[in-house]
Amino acid sequence: MQPITVDINWLNQLFAPLRDPKTWESAFGYSTKEPWFFTEFTFLAVFGVFLVFYAALVQKNTWRKIYLISFSLFFYYKSSGPFLGLFALMILSDYLFALAIEKQKGIKKKGLLWLSLSYSLSFLLYFKYANFFIHNCNDLLGTHFTDRDLFLPIGISFYTFQSISYLMDVYRKEIPATRNVSDYAFYMTFFPHLVAGPIVRAKDFLPQIFTPQIINASLYKESLLRILTGLLKKLFIADYLGKYVDIVHELPANFSGAENVLAMYAYSFQIYFDFSGYSDIAIGIALMLGYRLKENFDNPYASSNITVFWRKWHISLSSWLRDYVYIPLGGNRKGEFNTYLFLLITMLVGGFWHGADWRFIFWGLSHGLALAFHKAWMQLFPSKSTRWYSQVFGTILTFHFVGFCWIFFRATSFGSAFASIEQIAFHTQWKDFAGFWISRQEMAIMILVAAFIAFFPPQLKERIFQKTQVLPTFTWILWVLIALQIIIQFKDDVVQPFIYFQF
Amino acid sequence: MADNEDQITPDSPEATSAKLNSISSSNEHARVSDGEKQPKSSATPHEKSSPWLIIWAGLSISLPLLLLYIYSCSPQTLKLGQLELKQILGNQDIDAMLAALDEPEPVPVKVTHDSTSNLARDSADFTPAFGGTIPILNKNYHQPFVLPPYELPVFADTTKHRILLIGDSESGGLRYPLNDYCLANGHKIILSLEWYSATTFNFGRSDTIQKIIAKYKPTYIFLVFGLNELYARDLKARKIAANQLAKKLRGIPYAWIGPANWEEDNGISKVFQSSADSGAYFLTKKLTLTRAGDGRHPDVQGYRVWMDSIATWIQTSSRYKMLMKPPRKRGRPFRAPVITINAANYRGY
Repeated sequence: MQPITVDINWLNQLFAPLRDPKTWESAFGYSTKEPWFFTEFTFLAVFGVFLVFYAALVQKNTWRKIYLISFSLFFYYKSSGPFLGLFALMILSDYLFALAIEKQKGIKKKGLLWLSLSYSLSFLLYFKYANFFIHNCNDLLGTHFTDRDLFLPIGISFYTFQSISYLMDVYRKEIPATRNVSDYAFYMTFFPHLVAGPIVRAKDFLPQIFTPQIINASLYKESLLRILTGLLKKLFIADYLGKYVDIVHELPANFSGAENVLAMYAYSFQIYFDFSGYSDIAIGIALMLGYRLKENFDNPYASSNITVFWRKWHISLSSWLRDYVYIPLGGNRKGEFNTYLFLLITMLVGGFWHGADWRFIFWGLSHGLALAFHKAWMQLFPSKSTRWYSQVFGTILTFHFVGFCWIFFRATSFGSAFASIEQIAFHTQWKDFAGFWISRQEMAIMILVAAFIAFFPPQLKERIFQKTQVLPTFTWILWVLIALQIIIQFKDDVVQPFIYFQF
Repeated sequence: MADNEDQITPDSPEATSAKLNSISSSNEHARVSDGEKQPKSSATPHEKSSPWLIIWAGLSISLPLLLLYIYSCSPQTLKLGQLELKQILGNQDIDAMLAALDEPEPVPVKVTHDSTSNLARDSADFTPAFGGTIPILNKNYHQPFVLPPYELPVFADTTKHRILLIGDSESGGLRYPLNDYCLANGHKIILSLEWYSATTFNFGRSDTIQKIIAKYKPTYIFLVFGLNELYARDLKARKIAANQLAKKLRGIPYAWIGPANWEEDNGISKVFQSSADSGAYFLTKKLTLTRAGDGRHPDVQGYRVWMDSIATWIQTSSRYKMLMKPPRKRGRPFRAPVITINAANYRGY
């Protein structure tokens, strides 16, 4: 009789990473190649371990705060390395500026506000827009300035806006300046919203520092569901759609009009599932720690007009632009012409915030014009029609306008965007859609699935989410395992970074 | 943007006082601010967060990942009916995996001048580098062959080659400087096959390359691709495809040019290097190239610099050398036929 042998050599491989110094170097060191994303399994595993220790400190306010700040700073270090120093400097200066603004009055107060805002914006302007200005200066004036070799610190667009909102809120006396620098550091560094939002307001978040949510079974399930939903949205749907979008946008002229139309749809859903997936994970992680961040999306593609769309898309940014750009400019209090002008300026700022490129400015301008047009239309024809067909027509029109504008957002250049539009306008044939269905059936199904979810009534989604509450707590580990395996089954081997990661 | 939501002006005293009242000055963060609608909580007034639940939350995330990691280390793959459960990608030891999948290279023959008809022996510029033995690698792989030492300055083969350029979008840019070199050295590009968005799978799994080779009968192949695979983690599958590709090239001298990385890859360069014949792979990623507007593809100058480096390497230290003197004139018109296909429309397999 042959002895039974079991090969357990592979078990050595389990511990091989622990013996490899590179593992430790990559675990604690900074590498531009391995920044921490919420979708990185390494990050999720570390977060799980982090939670175990968090349990011991959850009842102790000060220690909990210190622990969270430390982990958040480490998280930022893993994302942006040496720029951690810059971030810390910004936090310290904001804290001091806010205290000074609060003490001053009159012109001095205003002067301090402008100084502090200029200081905060200077980092963003330098790192994000320096090369853009250099290029345009060279083109317009014939100068020969050379490009700066700049790395955009992760999340700078987001935390600069948070810093501005804090300083302006203190100036407007909507909140008092924090007396304790660690409170402000906690608000700014809180890792769930650190790298890509939602843009959290100090007045919403600071009060939560010492009064977090009670973490009970209901909150546990809600937070885990948000994280899993976000992971599936990003890794399963958005990344899959992204594969097709990348191929088409590499050379749109090589593709038929139908393929460009479908790339437009695919990108519209990709950016939505990507960013709303990220926001879901951020909100879920924050919730698991006992902090509730505001929602960032509210079924935006189901909007029946562009104004409603901007109330539901990237809510934290659109409300920030409203409160800190549109209203300070004058809002709708300075005459009709100025209202339209301010709307355009606000959307231009929003477009430019997304990237240092004329394409983003054009994108912002298009949305600004659409908002102005809708506003004018509603004044001329103040119809209150709620009939279903007018809603459906409005939704289809809005979605297609938004999708059309996304072409400029996604294309690599204006030339590429116009090539795609030309294909759509002049070379779209019905038979090509049938061809697409035959040759790329999986992608076609994914676009339909994405559309179904994006337009699915939110009330039904809410009901489904509530049904999950009845699942016993101990079973959730299994749901996590199943969700992760689904992701692995369909995961693109080329994982795309979050689209909003470097905005 | 909601246009009707600016009813309260920023410095309106009512708004300010309402908000300030909600924040205590001594313990300003102990209460909820500005009357915003707070989310519903099912917690009872005296309920506290449960540490055990938080630990369970941590385990709910870490344990499944640990299980998946253990599964990915095991040599067994589980099946759910017909469906094979995939393992977490990217945790393999790349070098060990490549070594396991490496296939022995064919051993080329030692050929003498007498057996070759296509060698030019009258080159004034270049002298034969190693006596009377020159490796011709396009036939008879059955006898031992000793590779020439790499430090040799210049190889003397002045054969005028029929060059086939195959690649992804990079080949579309590289063909112009390559054309300059070919015209200057008497070579001829017979076809440029530009397969946009193609990956190792397209080149390795399809029979497109064999068909092109059979039709155009090149004497030298330039292969340049990989820019679409920098982030690839399924290196095992790509290694198998790269081996298939290398097999298709057997019998013809070639230069396998690595992708022009704009940042470090996840190991695809290693995969290509291990699949190509030794000395036939050019590691582009060490070069610093200027980039086009997309930040990924090299620009015109970048392609020229890249081609200069490739030419120097081909002439001096590649396994399959050929004459590649720098051209005096650059930017000459490209007249060879070009086939462009897109991986989105045509996968090839």
